[in-house]
Amino acid sequence: MSKNVESKKKAASKKALEKQKNILDMLKSHGAKIYDDLDSGQFPKFSIPSRSVSNIVYDKKLRQYILGNSTALRSSKNTSQLRSFTQLMWLAFFANRLTNEKKSSTLRDIYYSSQAFAIDFEDQSESDNIIVDLEAVTSRPREDFHIFPEERSSIFGDLNIEYTIPGYEGKTMNLSNHPDGYAIGPSLTTAELVDTSAEIVIAIEKGGLFTRFVEEQVDKKFKSIIINTGGQAPRSTRTLLKRLHDEMKLPVIILTDGDVYGEHIAMVIKSGSANAAHLRELTVPDAKWVGVWATDIEKYKLPTIPMTESDIKRCYDLQKDPRYLDGIWKKELEVFLRLKRKAELEAFSKYGLTNITDKYLPQKLELAKSL
Amino acid sequence: MENGLDACDSKGILPDIHLTIKAVDPEKSDPKPYILTVKDNGPGIESKHVPLAFGTVLYGSKFGLKQARGMFGLGATMAILYGQITTNKPVTVKSSTDAKKSDEYELLLDIQKNKPVILKHKTKDVAKKGLSVSICLEGDYSKAGTKIRDYVYQTSLITPYASITFDDPKGEKYPYPRMINSMPKPPTIIRPHPYGTDVETIRRMMVESQFEIPTIDDAMIEKVRKDLGLAKKNFSFTAIMEKAKKRWKTLSRQVRVIIALMSFLKMDFEKLNKIRIEDIDVPNKKLFYWDFGDSTSKSVEMDPESQYYKQLTNTIQGETLTAFLTKKFQRVGPTTAVKFAEFAGFKPEKRLGTMTNQELAKLSDSLQKFDDFMGPDPSCLAPLGEEPLEKGMKKFFNPDFLTVIQRSASAYSGFPFVVEMGIAYGGDISTRGIKVYRFANRIPLLYDEGSDVVLKVINDIDWSRYKAKGDPPLVIVSHICSTRIPYKTAGKENVADRQEIERELKLAIQFMARKLSVFMNKRGQAEAAKKRANLYAKYVPLIAQFCTELAGKKKEPNFQKILQEEELIENE
Repeated sequence: MSKNVESKKKAASKKALEKQKNILDMLKSHGAKIYDDLDSGQFPKFSIPSRSVSNIVYDKKLRQYILGNSTALRSSKNTSQLRSFTQLMWLAFFANRLTNEKKSSTLRDIYYSSQAFAIDFEDQSESDNIIVDLEAVTSRPREDFHIFPEERSSIFGDLNIEYTIPGYEGKTMNLSNHPDGYAIGPSLTTAELVDTSAEIVIAIEKGGLFTRFVEEQVDKKFKSIIINTGGQAPRSTRTLLKRLHDEMKLPVIILTDGDVYGEHIAMVIKSGSANAAHLRELTVPDAKWVGVWATDIEKYKLPTIPMTESDIKRCYDLQKDPRYLDGIWKKELEVFLRLKRKAELEAFSKYGLTNITDKYLPQKLELAKSL
Repeated sequence: MENGLDACDSKGILPDIHLTIKAVDPEKSDPKPYILTVKDNGPGIESKHVPLAFGTVLYGSKFGLKQARGMFGLGATMAILYGQITTNKPVTVKSSTDAKKSDEYELLLDIQKNKPVILKHKTKDVAKKGLSVSICLEGDYSKAGTKIRDYVYQTSLITPYASITFDDPKGEKYPYPRMINSMPKPPTIIRPHPYGTDVETIRRMMVESQFEIPTIDDAMIEKVRKDLGLAKKNFSFTAIMEKAKKRWKTLSRQVRVIIALMSFLKMDFEKLNKIRIEDIDVPNKKLFYWDFGDSTSKSVEMDPESQYYKQLTNTIQGETLTAFLTKKFQRVGPTTAVKFAEFAGFKPEKRLGTMTNQELAKLSDSLQKFDDFMGPDPSCLAPLGEEPLEKGMKKFFNPDFLTVIQRSASAYSGFPFVVEMGIAYGGDISTRGIKVYRFANRIPLLYDEGSDVVLKVINDIDWSRYKAKGDPPLVIVSHICSTRIPYKTAGKENVADRQEIERELKLAIQFMARKLSVFMNKRGQAEAAKKRANLYAKYVPLIAQFCTELAGKKKEPNFQKILQEEELIENE
């Protein structure tokens, strides 16, 4: 191993250690406060940013939803909050152990782990909710506490990374070595992004198209990194997208099905979701949705299926969202509502399996430059 | 039973009532003859009255205006009659008024003549006062048993000062021992209240008040002589008149009337004995009489200026309106009477006897409309009283919460009434939902519950407002006392919804329900505090455990302090 690699490894390891220490210190200070309250005969309490709808506001500057100023007091004296208070304490305690031991856990794991501590979560959605509480109190994403969702998204392309997770520190990997792509999990999101020859990131909604893109060597033909979001992009994927954009200075374009849900998948990557308004660092404001647009349905004469009632309702709901008040977001919603039909990415197969990569993609990449 | 309790009440005797029902032939199937015996420790009935009391229909002493369980004295005789019709067996009555001798009768009722037929009469030595009545009647205990047991149970509830036992035909004993040793004040007989007095009642009262011309017999003559203080030899017309003038103020009304008559007739007693007064014609100022001597009708003029004229007309025309009101009605004083006269548009000195039918109707009408009469006198009523009711309910239900109220007396159409009620919650009450025990004049009302005013009022209340949600284990005792309970039907089982009674019931229930709600709140708070303490006990140690590791400490914080504080608050 060269000296360069050695020092890099040290640097990476140091950076990871620092981050871990930050997290641990923060958890400790929260714990100490609770400890002191109890020890002095007081019911412990803390404040938490309110996540109620009225406190979720759209920040035009940040181009995402954020929480407003109102906070809620959580007190262990209040018996209706006592249980969730204790659950949150447990979660902090558990996250502390995870971080300390450098172990990771899925949301599902958390739910089951709780059962060893007489902290009875009724179901996973309750434990998930407490995890969001921990995020809100600490303003850190759960991934910082080594808590991850089940992974389903993947990445492929010429990108060298260097792991920082225990046991793999300093190990490097090129993400174009395996044609099925690499699952985007904790080890990838925490890895150092070393270098890449790619000039663009293409996020695509569906696994099937991801495979097609790899087969058709879209990575090479268009100097791109291909990411399968697996539907609505998970947080880890959004984190990675942001890092690719911010750290590697790569533009991000998004390809989704030609329906209102596809449009929103693109919007969430671009500017986050209301559900995660308590977190920043998860958005790629410069990301561009290039298709499939409602206008493409007509332009490319794509085979369509009719929109369902819930599709139509979703259109009307999104029309009230401040992010959909202008630009293509507004225009495409209107066209969807006019057509009352939608088209999937696979619809291009009508004109040949490679039609989408040969014809559609180049046109859209060209168009993206002007968006 | 009711008669026994009434008798004891009136004499202030703590009642001991024994009710026994025995089958004549236990092997037979229902319906079959039973012997029903009721024994009390009351004053008994004098031997000579026994046959009439139990051998005639409508022999009763209950005519005064006071509250009693029975009203017309029909109950016992009807039961006897029913027994006689179904089994043709006589009634056996044993009565002792002196705790020494007991008169035992076997009687049948001669229905056509409404007269008793005495089959046997003997006298025995006994040690206890009281009355025992045994009737043989046909019945179906398997069906009626529940109602009979309910009746005894509820009677005992509303008569906590009585000891009641019931031995049923199956050999079961239902003893209800005395719960309190003081008797409620017995009711007194009082005059009627102006409200609710109709023209007929006024007429009857007038007849009572109008003074009749006294019969002049030897006794009366002797009385006049003595009152005037005259010797027999000096008992002439002039002497009488002279003496009467002097002693006028001390004379009784009867004597005054006789003197007045004599003054116009100018006769002494000897002559007076030979005539009969026929008519006193006030408008024409003439006095008519029948002379036995020559068998003719004669008349004399009356001098309207004479003081005796006034005396006579007073007698004939009845009392003045004000005198009538103050004397004949309860709680009407002279001032009120004058005010009323003005209100009704009569002169206060207007005499009742001079009123036309229209005027009487107007009088009766005004009596209902005049607002300034005082409320009716409740002394004729015998509510149980708050304390006995409370004690009785406490013994019966052993409740977690109990409150009683006796409303002050009110009146509907002139009849005074008092509502007393109690609410018991929880404890030994195992029924779900509101159970209502209705009483009227201390008699349990067992049938026809649905249409009763008490039920109506209770059902109209939104109990959830008083924290009694769902099917609370709640017992409500309602006792309406009145000189006349407005029953809806002849069966006397449900009370009609008179607006005044409904109002009193409602106020009573609302008063108690508010107290109930305070209790329920406190109870809820206690339960919540307990729940809270349990929650703290469960979760606070966990929080302590987690934060200890989180804060990197070895020893757990002293969280006992907050747990103890919580307990203190709870125990307050």
